[in-house]
Amino acid sequence: MPQELLRIEAKKPGGNWTDPAVQFRKGVFCYSAAAKNVRALDLPNPRDWQPFDADWKLPPDWKRILLEGMKERLEKYRSFRLFMDICVRCGACADKCHFYVGSGDPKNMPVVRAELMRSVYRRYFTLTGRIFGRLAGGRELTEDIVKEWFYYFYQCTECRRCSVFCPYGIDTAEITMIGRELLNLIGCNTNWVLEPAANCFRTGNHLGIQPHGFKDSLEFAADELEEITGIRVDVPINRKGAEILFVMPSADYFAEPHYYTLLGYMMLFHEIGLDFTFSAFASEGGNFGLFSSHELMKRLNAKVYEEAKRLGVKWILGGECGHMWRVLHQYMDTMNGPADFLEEPVSPITGTKFENARSTRMVHICEFTADLIHSGKLRLDASRNDRWRVTYHDSCNPARSMGLLEEPRYIIRNACHRFFEMPENTIREQTFCCGSGAGLGTDENLEMRLRGGFPRANAVKYVQEKHGVNLLACICAIDKATLPTLLEYWAPGVEVGGVHELLGNALVMRGEKPRTTDLRGEPLSAEVTHA
Amino acid sequence: MASSNDLVEQWFAQTLESFPDLSARFLAEEKDRFRNPVGHALHTSMAALLQEVLGNMDAGKIAPALDAIVRIRVVQDFTPGEAVGFVFLLRSIVRGSNPPRPAMIEARIDQLALMAFDQYMRCREQIAEIRANEIRRQTRARPALQRK
Repeated sequence: MPQELLRIEAKKPGGNWTDPAVQFRKGVFCYSAAAKNVRALDLPNPRDWQPFDADWKLPPDWKRILLEGMKERLEKYRSFRLFMDICVRCGACADKCHFYVGSGDPKNMPVVRAELMRSVYRRYFTLTGRIFGRLAGGRELTEDIVKEWFYYFYQCTECRRCSVFCPYGIDTAEITMIGRELLNLIGCNTNWVLEPAANCFRTGNHLGIQPHGFKDSLEFAADELEEITGIRVDVPINRKGAEILFVMPSADYFAEPHYYTLLGYMMLFHEIGLDFTFSAFASEGGNFGLFSSHELMKRLNAKVYEEAKRLGVKWILGGECGHMWRVLHQYMDTMNGPADFLEEPVSPITGTKFENARSTRMVHICEFTADLIHSGKLRLDASRNDRWRVTYHDSCNPARSMGLLEEPRYIIRNACHRFFEMPENTIREQTFCCGSGAGLGTDENLEMRLRGGFPRANAVKYVQEKHGVNLLACICAIDKATLPTLLEYWAPGVEVGGVHELLGNALVMRGEKPRTTDLRGEPLSAEVTHA
Repeated sequence: MASSNDLVEQWFAQTLESFPDLSARFLAEEKDRFRNPVGHALHTSMAALLQEVLGNMDAGKIAPALDAIVRIRVVQDFTPGEAVGFVFLLRSIVRGSNPPRPAMIEARIDQLALMAFDQYMRCREQIAEIRANEIRRQTRARPALQRK
């Protein structure tokens, strides 16, 4: 037998990062967008293809389209040009990406991920790159580079953890966003992003739920709440003249465990007598356009202000969602605003002015509820959450894009007796992503998600072992959809829930019957029931 | 004489060679268990495994340590052979140690390799299962659909 067969080789063949070859192994990438969804959104090059095909059926002039697209964006977005020019490769971001930490793949270092595009920028848009090519760090744009971009720009959840550590403030998420936008120009997009976007364009929400389905879902929730609390809550939909329009991610009214958070919102609004309305048109706060292009994000987002205007509300309140808040907080105002037809938000219960929302006129439910608790407007019985030992996952977008760090914790501390923080370098601004955001949360991409989610789950496992934590609370619909899967693999025994689910459990409502179960239908202990 | 600590360090270093150089350095040098969960899990679990291989071969202690390592390698960019192959690296390390360890240690390493393969399969099966569970949760479509 040849001696080499007897040797155990641990060393993988070394490679240079400038080599763009990638292998599309099932389990670590997202499938392509179906042609019907590409057509529904009027995007270019609808066709049947998959990333593992040798021929991606790119348009014949794909190279010209990409380079012109890049040129246009370099002129349009000053941030993009700046991010292409100023990186000094200090390495501060290198080990901050959860995909890098979990996979050990150097192209997941934020600096290298950005370099995949910078090298092309240098080759075609800088003098030294045009003259010296590779010597000046430039790379020729080839089909292999298109495939590499697709692979790695869909291995970034746009969570912006790396940008916290960048001394220049380079926002690598924006580089990913531009990368995806360019890929969209030649029809390289994923179905898990475009199908929800196409649905949203058609019916107003990602799942394609029609208005009667929306109404039915909310009424079913009201029925269930009546069984739990003995109180019939109102379900105002498309009600003109309401003071507040409430917008939530659609997962809240169809998926689990999101649904318990919806119950929490409805109980809260009833208890404080809020003059509000849901909308079957603005039935989605989430925005999968963000994961494709600025244009698509704008198109999907427009319905929020449109509906606020049509219904004549004074301001907008938004539910527990992640990237929804990045769009609402950072883009909506300039994209589809100014919302000068709305008023500066003031809580009708406490009189608190939400000056931070003076411009967007849209308030996060956690800010709103924390203010209610702070002003003594809610009666809470935290013992109803005693079966939970809770930790809190700072969902990336509300934490890093909005600075919403204290409010959810304040609510949890008031609604629960047992709350334990995860280690400092895994929470707040440094929170680790779930590994499934920005359109990566699909089942065909599960192994990649498990890699990327490992740093988060590792910290959860730590508090599970140290403090017996059994509930991970969070305020993002994608977290709620994907963290249960992640924890089933990495930290079994820890469940996932929303902050307003905990609030709903604890909320003592006027005229309620003695509660025998929590919002999940799990029995409360005898002492709690008869308290 | 090579202490068991030296053997762990050798084993750890050789296992890290399965990663690209830049990453191997990070995985070896970053000591914070939350910033470097992979490196931390590999190192602490390898130390625990070696202790059992040289000691009592207590299955109750081997199982969690092996699980911690294999569970990570299952979802990384490794073939099944590469994912569990780290166990066999221990053989040449032990063989080359001074003074040589008893021959039965190699039989124990073989046993460990079989256990690693079993664990690999369990993790693969679990991935298939959690994928199905996730789809089930998403399509539970509680309110509107259940009612009809």
